Amino acid sequence: MSLVAEALVSQVAGKVPFIHVGNQVVSELGPIVQFVKAKGHSLSDGLDEVQKAEMKAYMELVNNMLLTAELYLQWCDEATVGEITHSRYGFPYPWPLNHILAYQKQWEVKRKMKAIGWGNKTLDQVLEDVDQCCQALSQRLGTQPYFFNKQPTELDALVFGHLFTILTTQLTNDELSEKVKNYSNLLAFCRRIEQNYFGENGKGRIPLRLA
Amino acid sequence: MAAPLELRCWGGGWGLPSVHSESLVVLAYAKFSGAPLKVSVIDNTWRGSRGDVPILTSEDNTVSQPAKILNFLRKQKYNADYQLSAKQGADTLAYIALLEEKLLPAVLHTFWVENDNYFTVTKPWFASRIPFPLSLILPGRMSKRALNRILITKGEPPFFHLKEVEAQIYRDAKECLNLLSNRLGTSQFFFGNMPTTLDAYVFGFLAPLYKVCFPKVQLQEHLKQLSNLCRFCDDILSCYFRLSFADG
Repeated sequence: MSLVAEALVSQVAGKVPFIHVGNQVVSELGPIVQFVKAKGHSLSDGLDEVQKAEMKAYMELVNNMLLTAELYLQWCDEATVGEITHSRYGFPYPWPLNHILAYQKQWEVKRKMKAIGWGNKTLDQVLEDVDQCCQALSQRLGTQPYFFNKQPTELDALVFGHLFTILTTQLTNDELSEKVKNYSNLLAFCRRIEQNYFGENGKGRIPLRLA
Repeated sequence: MAAPLELRCWGGGWGLPSVHSESLVVLAYAKFSGAPLKVSVIDNTWRGSRGDVPILTSEDNTVSQPAKILNFLRKQKYNADYQLSAKQGADTLAYIALLEEKLLPAVLHTFWVENDNYFTVTKPWFASRIPFPLSLILPGRMSKRALNRILITKGEPPFFHLKEVEAQIYRDAKECLNLLSNRLGTSQFFFGNMPTTLDAYVFGFLAPLYKVCFPKVQLQEHLKQLSNLCRFCDDILSCYFRLSFADG
């Protein structure tokens, strides 16, 4: 996910080469954004102080709810873990390393969930949280093309990265992507970004397909 | 609506109705929304509980965790946010996430991890409020849980040392306080003239930091420079919690 979001940031910034980051952890946009900033561009330069505060708050909301829900679904939902995640995560490694690493990762994620109070959540509660988060994002976006009107910012990149991951990653059930699909302006937002920045006739390097 | 609502929470000190952030969030929200709560402060008769404090009980319902308690109160028609627009409701969720991610780790650290603070203030305070032998076990458990939370959520690469994590979380917290101060400006509350859920959360997180007297006070010093946030806390205390202040 982070690669997708970072690709978007670099596309929007325009003049910066795409930097391959090997880090697979789905967290902040970190490296690319810092690099872009260091080169003198920042996507949120045009925002005033209150808007910057809002942007940071919404980025935390996305990290708090969407990222955690994605991790939950991948690692704490037994059906998904058994059928998809375990084998996908362990795929590059020989036996028994594939199993060991997958179990270790699962243990780490579960420990994190417990530390932030998600340890006892059921799948339904997690889906409800995702719905609440999407609703907030949908209300904030309204009818604007991007979250801060005409120009995309780091928030747009982050939201796009997460929503795109949710909409296109195959899991055992579709409930997570269905939650997102309930919000038509969010879907339109994703399509718009895909077409403008990753389309066939666009400047993109990564071909993305939204169902 | 007629069912009596009872809240079990940690008690007060230093002029606050509660020194515990989560308890304070619920107390503040109840005042703002007019919910009639019977508050039971934890004392030497407490035998421990299954869930985390604060805990709301009503007839056959038991709810813990501030977010769930506030949801429950809203369903009982005690809603402090009824005047907010959809966008303001969305902003509330976002700012609460900001508080939990950027401010809470440093608040937890100040209370529960920083050795001078924990051993001279926090631990004696909590231990004196609960019966033996819980007083020997619970403060340590709460401290460990706070440290765990900080390390697990913030201690990932490139940080490998607690000192580096500490530096980062305090940087984040100071930035968060600045953002809150910018957002509040000269308004009385975050969304105009009526206090809402967001005000309850900000008050709950800020007031203990503002009022409790610690030996190690770097975050507190920073907060005291943001006069509008201090004014915000003092206003809520004097309007909604008419307590006489003990100085210091």
